[in-house]
Amino acid sequence: MTTFLTYTVLGLVLGAVYSIAASGLVLTYNTSGIFNFAHGAQAMFGTFLYWHFTQVWNWPTWLGLIAVIGVAGPVMGAALHALIMKGLRGTADVTKIIVTVAVLLGTVYLAQWIWNPDEARTIDMFFGAGAKVTLAGVTVRYHEIVCLVAAVAIAALLRVLFTRSRAGVVMRGSVDDPDLLRLNGHDPERAAMLSWALGSTLAVLAGVLVVPISGGAMDANMLTLLVIDAFAAAMFGRLRSLPRTFAGAMVLGLTVTYVLAYLPSAGTFTGNLRVSLPMIILFVVLVVLPQDRLRGAAVRTRERYRVPSVRSAAVWGAVLIAVVYLYSLLLPDAGVTAFALGMTFAIVALSLTVLTGYAGELNLAPLSFGAIGTIVAFHFGVTGEGLAARLNVQGVLLGVLVAAVVGGLVALPALRLRGLYLALATMAFGVFLSNMVLRDTTEHEWFGQRFTIFPDGSLVIPPLKAGPLDLRDGTAFLMTATVLFALLGIGLAALRNSGYGRRLAAMKDSPAATAMLGQSLVRLKLSVFMISAGIAGLGGVLMSSAHGTVSQETFTITGSLALLMLVVVAGIGYISGALFGGLIAGVGSAVLVSTFNDLALEHESMSSLYTAVGQLVLVGTALVGMGVGRNPSGFVHDVAEAYRSLRAAKPVLYGGGAAGAVLYVLALTDVIGTWTFAIAALCVLMLLPVIGKSVLEEKGRRETPLELLGIDEPYTDELRARLDRELGLPATVRKGGAGVPA
Amino acid sequence: MSLLETRGITVRFGGNTAVDDVSLTMAEGEITGLIGPNGAGKTTMFNTVTGLQRPASGRVLLDGTDITSLSPAKRARRGMARTFQRLELFLSLSVRDNVRVAGDVLRATARKRFDLDEETDRILERTGLTDIAGRDVSDVPIGRARVVEVARALMTSPRVLLLDEPASGQTEQETERFAEMLKGLAGDGLAICLVEHDLPLVMGLCSRIHVLDYGSLIASGTPQEIQESPEVIAAYIGTEEAT
Amino acid sequence: MTEPLLELSGVKAGYGAIEVLHGVDLALRPGTLLALLGPNGGGKSTAMRVIAGLHPATGGEVRYAGRTVNGISAQDAARLGICSIPEGRGVFPNLTVRENLWAATGTGARLKDMEEKAYGRFPILGKRRDQLAGSLSGGEQQMLALSRALGTDPAVLLLDELSMGLAPKIVSEMYETVAELVAGGLSVLVAEQFARAVLPIADSAALMLHGRIAATGTPDEIEDRLAGDYLGG
Repeated sequence: MTTFLTYTVLGLVLGAVYSIAASGLVLTYNTSGIFNFAHGAQAMFGTFLYWHFTQVWNWPTWLGLIAVIGVAGPVMGAALHALIMKGLRGTADVTKIIVTVAVLLGTVYLAQWIWNPDEARTIDMFFGAGAKVTLAGVTVRYHEIVCLVAAVAIAALLRVLFTRSRAGVVMRGSVDDPDLLRLNGHDPERAAMLSWALGSTLAVLAGVLVVPISGGAMDANMLTLLVIDAFAAAMFGRLRSLPRTFAGAMVLGLTVTYVLAYLPSAGTFTGNLRVSLPMIILFVVLVVLPQDRLRGAAVRTRERYRVPSVRSAAVWGAVLIAVVYLYSLLLPDAGVTAFALGMTFAIVALSLTVLTGYAGELNLAPLSFGAIGTIVAFHFGVTGEGLAARLNVQGVLLGVLVAAVVGGLVALPALRLRGLYLALATMAFGVFLSNMVLRDTTEHEWFGQRFTIFPDGSLVIPPLKAGPLDLRDGTAFLMTATVLFALLGIGLAALRNSGYGRRLAAMKDSPAATAMLGQSLVRLKLSVFMISAGIAGLGGVLMSSAHGTVSQETFTITGSLALLMLVVVAGIGYISGALFGGLIAGVGSAVLVSTFNDLALEHESMSSLYTAVGQLVLVGTALVGMGVGRNPSGFVHDVAEAYRSLRAAKPVLYGGGAAGAVLYVLALTDVIGTWTFAIAALCVLMLLPVIGKSVLEEKGRRETPLELLGIDEPYTDELRARLDRELGLPATVRKGGAGVPA
Repeated sequence: MSLLETRGITVRFGGNTAVDDVSLTMAEGEITGLIGPNGAGKTTMFNTVTGLQRPASGRVLLDGTDITSLSPAKRARRGMARTFQRLELFLSLSVRDNVRVAGDVLRATARKRFDLDEETDRILERTGLTDIAGRDVSDVPIGRARVVEVARALMTSPRVLLLDEPASGQTEQETERFAEMLKGLAGDGLAICLVEHDLPLVMGLCSRIHVLDYGSLIASGTPQEIQESPEVIAAYIGTEEAT
Repeated sequence: MTEPLLELSGVKAGYGAIEVLHGVDLALRPGTLLALLGPNGGGKSTAMRVIAGLHPATGGEVRYAGRTVNGISAQDAARLGICSIPEGRGVFPNLTVRENLWAATGTGARLKDMEEKAYGRFPILGKRRDQLAGSLSGGEQQMLALSRALGTDPAVLLLDELSMGLAPKIVSEMYETVAELVAGGLSVLVAEQFARAVLPIADSAALMLHGRIAATGTPDEIEDRLAGDYLGG
């Protein structure tokens, strides 16, 4: 009995912390319509600040608390709102999710930059772990009492705020109708900022409270995920009701604690289950949640994508293969391997193009489906031993198939739901997979077969061998991955241009109207989700093979989120967006950061600067992600549009091509280094539209009346020559004029 | 014999009764009007008939078969089509593809085999959209965008067509052309139901009119009968004479 | 003749590349009711939104009490005494009646006075004070919206499609209240599709077609033109 009571108290304490975190989430969601994936990261950052104040600067506990809960928390929330979230009104769900994901990643990167993750840090309980009382045989620590009191007090305060104060009523009003709030003389942005400040403060408080009761050790990733567990509690309240959220948090806390108490502790199962339980509960709650009514497109989104024809996709595919081959000649072996890894990421990224770009649904855990494919390929597709071991094609295909089927199974229950819920379901699946399956190192016996899912916590995935094609060779691997990417890209272009693709676009734009054409939305979503999961599975197997050895770390949810964010930044509606997003996710940031680290090692005096720049690159990518709200179509879209306008300036294009060729020859003959080439080529690529634009403008200016030439500007010889030319050849003028509308 | 029939439909939102015990019928080749002030429950009625809204009680029958429990998609496959008061066009597709995608669905659900391009062109021609077929649908003015919704609905080869305020936002000439088109469609045997505020249009076009007020059906009859009905005059048109 | 309290001259506005108002001129004199009539899609609502500060004018001038107020924010317009009740229901559906009145005190009124005036004029609202506004009938919601004008003592009232979705009997009740407010010195601009509902209490009227003012005059003059111009006979 005492044991039961003890665990009940522990469960309630955990529930209390969840409830604090979850109410903050519900608060911001309701006033701004943004589901804040960065909530956990804010909690993490505030907690690290608290640690810094109290442990490094030796501030007293009360001062540290005031500093983080009274100042840092609210300031962080208000700043987030003012700088980023305010600009997200009227954007698609996907954009909102991505921006908060970028904030999450950026905050985690920043924390790891400031506080070196290799050092151990702990936070003690308030009043110390020894301060406790014993009631009816149950020992309760003061810290735990603080948690319980704080949760109850916050629940009560929020209730008072929302029903007994005008500020609270106005905050609720801003959910209904921000414009009407303005007409009433209020500023809805102020209400939203207040709610972000409050939400952020609650997150920080939850973080400071949760670390000591879950072991005391601080890790940026883990702490972020710990607070994300509170999502399940928020979902109990359907993201609206605070009382239900409170109840959900308690149920969650108790369940998690009882599992730990009463399930057998042998093996890794119970421990893994305890960690995964919040996500399993999140999944279940999502599925049994009463479904939203089918609605039309609520917002006219700003995202616009151009659809390439199959022919142009094929041409670009060939160009890609050629360019990659030529570039690979410049690279050292290690570079080729890294490039190949990036290309496999790009294949995984294609799974997002079809799912999100074409169908408007979200998968927050693409790498997890890659993990499924990898596990299957490892168990059923490896032949030979040691260095002679090879992956066979059947294994890869089976991996793809199983990934697709699992994708269908995961998505099926959530398909009736709105995009955000499907996204959360995939995230729950991803976290569950890394915690339960990828940590499952014990032996199982099923139908007389003994097997271990993840022996020793890591899998060795050998290179693929298909007939004469052996991918042990780096260049062969790279080129195979590139060809596969190109083929899949052409396939996706064909898909988008087919009736199926049009049906996907229709569903994305208006689910209600699509259903009224006789289309079963569940079936369509299921099929596209399976296609997407299959592609992710294929990319995942290849990625694992490129890595050589993979572990749970390879498939974390943070990795998936970073990939998704980069693809959206590049342009999720475009195949080239998948290419760039995948390459940057796979190699880009890793190579850049390690380059700066190498530089730091070489030049010791400058080492801190170089390390800082390396870290800045990571934070920078997240910063770009936060800017997605301003440019939801992605940068590939802008580049493509810029090049489209270049068609009128052929000489610029030819010049650019020539410059590229010269650079390439210089690099091939070792006159310039590979990096210099890459950066210079990138510069040419980026500068061309700028140059083209100025050339086109020059052309446009030439259309100004000839009689005005030389009046506003000095009359030069060049001008006189031009005047002569124009007067002598009026046909040129007409030709130039006709070129504009074309 | 009526093609579509509702029997005692009641819809509640929370404690509010939006539609109260409404029974009405639509017949093949006939244009029916559903009128009443905004908020009278007309769109809710459409949503219930098409399956986007579950009724608290009552039944919907298509051709004598009870379809109350069918999903919107299944109803559509049985020949029900509609347009939306707040346009629900596929903004990332061109006008032509907005229409064609309905045919894509039709083919995918394996109901029919036909020449998709030809059929699309025929519908575009019939609805007078050929000149803007290649335009992005987001650039089309609202009056013609409503016609695109009708064209898309027609592409599903429906038997019943429900139009939710199809003439709002149309210019006078557009409305005239639109009325002619509807007459032609009804002539081909389509059952059309029209929710519309443009009373002259409704009176001129419909052979039967149902009047909703506060969720209840207060009158059904020919335009003549509706204009003379004291209940309708009192509740809808007010003390002024009918237009 | 007195100076207009609210004046639009050559106001242009649009959505993206599409211009909806092509230069609108209007003048609302103090203590009068001006009816802005015309079919749906003619630009009435956009004009109302421009005046209320919800939509930017791309050209022309909006003058309030002689002062140019182009680009003013909606909350500032509200604080200057422009009370706007938008198309549809001007209430927060998920707040109770009392909370709606509370939210309406953003321009400086006191909740107690608001409640007194609202429940005094519309007793049914007093009975439903703790009910969610979204669960009220259409007429009751419009009463609640109108209560804001009663309680906040504005200088100008903008009413957009008050009749929308309401039974004629309720519409005339609403306009009776509006007429009382005008008699009390309030200046009111009403945008209305159903002309007959508002013309009897209007002091002057303007007909808006395709983003322009097609005619202005006394209610009688405009009523004569209406049949030809948009009722279609």
